[in-house]
Amino acid sequence: MAGNIIKEITDGIYNLILGLAVTFKHLFKHAITLQYPTERWEMPERSRGTIVLLSDPETGRLNCTACLLCSKACPVAAISIERIKNPDTKKFEPQSFNIDTTICCYCGLCEQACNFTAIKLTGKYEFSASDKSKLLYDMGFLQEIGRDVKYEKREKTAAKKKAVAKAETGEDVGGAPVADAKAESSPGSGEAKKED
Amino acid sequence: MAIEQLKTEEFMVNMGPQHPSTHGVCKLVIKMDGEQIKSIQPHVGFLHRSIEKIAENRTYAQFVPYTDRIDYCASMNANHAYVTAVEKMAGIQVPERAEYLRVMMAELNRIASHLVWIATFAIDLGAVTPFLYAFRERELILDLFEMTCGQRLTYNYMCIGGVNWDIPQGFEPKLREFLKIFPQKVNEYEYLLTNNPIFLYRTKGIGVLDMDTAFAYSVSGPSIRGSGLKWDIRKAEPYSIYNKFDFDVPVGHTGDVWDRYKVRLNEMRESTKIVQQAIEGLPGGDTKVKVPMTWKPPEGEVFSRIEAPRGEMAYHIISDGTPKPYRIKIRTASYCNLQVLPVIAVNHLIADLVAIFGSLDVILPEVDR
Repeated sequence: MAGNIIKEITDGIYNLILGLAVTFKHLFKHAITLQYPTERWEMPERSRGTIVLLSDPETGRLNCTACLLCSKACPVAAISIERIKNPDTKKFEPQSFNIDTTICCYCGLCEQACNFTAIKLTGKYEFSASDKSKLLYDMGFLQEIGRDVKYEKREKTAAKKKAVAKAETGEDVGGAPVADAKAESSPGSGEAKKED
Repeated sequence: MAIEQLKTEEFMVNMGPQHPSTHGVCKLVIKMDGEQIKSIQPHVGFLHRSIEKIAENRTYAQFVPYTDRIDYCASMNANHAYVTAVEKMAGIQVPERAEYLRVMMAELNRIASHLVWIATFAIDLGAVTPFLYAFRERELILDLFEMTCGQRLTYNYMCIGGVNWDIPQGFEPKLREFLKIFPQKVNEYEYLLTNNPIFLYRTKGIGVLDMDTAFAYSVSGPSIRGSGLKWDIRKAEPYSIYNKFDFDVPVGHTGDVWDRYKVRLNEMRESTKIVQQAIEGLPGGDTKVKVPMTWKPPEGEVFSRIEAPRGEMAYHIISDGTPKPYRIKIRTASYCNLQVLPVIAVNHLIADLVAIFGSLDVILPEVDR
């Protein structure tokens, strides 16, 4: 009985010292924290923070062609776009492009859906506001904060796609069942929007 | 007053919803006799977001970000469970590289999840130091995830047909460095906790979960492995490419709090082994099969399960041939594991309830969904 107690005490002291040795070693190590407002972490390239609209560095115009693919891909229906047809070029242009960042879940599905490199999630942060209405971003603001974002334009036009598909003949796209994307493009988000 | 007139009676205590040791919003209505627990009634549902109902109004691809939010400590595993279920239903063959990346990320996230667990569990029992150390190591894993997919908690990394992003430049050396230092760090936690006399008094012989009770309440994951059952879906029904990897399933003996702690510690070591093997054998090739944005799976239903850090996570999906699922039922481990708490915590002191609750590794968003 007495032997047990002595063993328990010595074991306890030994293991306490073992733990204290670990903490003692850490006394001589550098701190891994950064003092935030003065020092900052470098955000990785793929960082998914604030959404911006990208514009052409030469002409300064938005890359967006108002195809509405991003708003259809959005699971929370945070993107709302109104579009008009430009009478000169006969092409669609966004008239208004609003993102409700209060419900945006930063999943990045809009960026994946975009064929024209027009929308991007960037490493920018610190966009907090004291008023909720300031978190509803309009087209002008989204373009403004996207001006200095560097990007590589993906050329994913239909003609190019076909050329690539021809070059890769024989290579199957995998087991994915092919659905006609154009035929049923709307049911995904139209109803989801209404419910939200 | 004469001493004969004094009497004792049982009284009710509300623990939660804002109690720090419930790790979320769970309310426990406890009937107590002095400091002894006589019965517990867990009240859940404070975090209910009706994710299963939301799924019926989203396309299959749109639902992936929602699976991140089921278990925010192990989003990769939740992603993995969902995409494997959909792929099983539609018969989609995923490229091998994508499978390797999935397993790698899922195991890294298992380590990260267990690190959060060990940190919060230790701080519940009064040990502050492991909290700081475990979060330091978790930061390394989160940095790797942020490099790969841009987010730190809600990854949306896996998609139907593969993974969204390939690993970037500079990922591999960073991962190898992590794998090199991590086993030593696990040893550090062991020095701090495993045989610490105070920790032993708080955990040994407390909250014993025997095998019959565990079966009756369908407990899974490390909680049942602590009771001695060698049941791991990665071994029992290998999904993805787990049959290619060599790893052990750690088990406990008595099923007390300490055994569950030890099982999770050893699981971190085993996961490190799997990640090591995955990065060594990472094949080249594509990471994704192209699945159209509005894609219709065939009609039918599927049940598929994986081993998440907290136990079995299963998806039952019914498809009616439209781009949206007809019904999705999610089986999460925490919900079943929480049910066993009233059984094993009875007749313990209220201070032990914190240890028992912590040892089951319940995460509340997973309970309520």
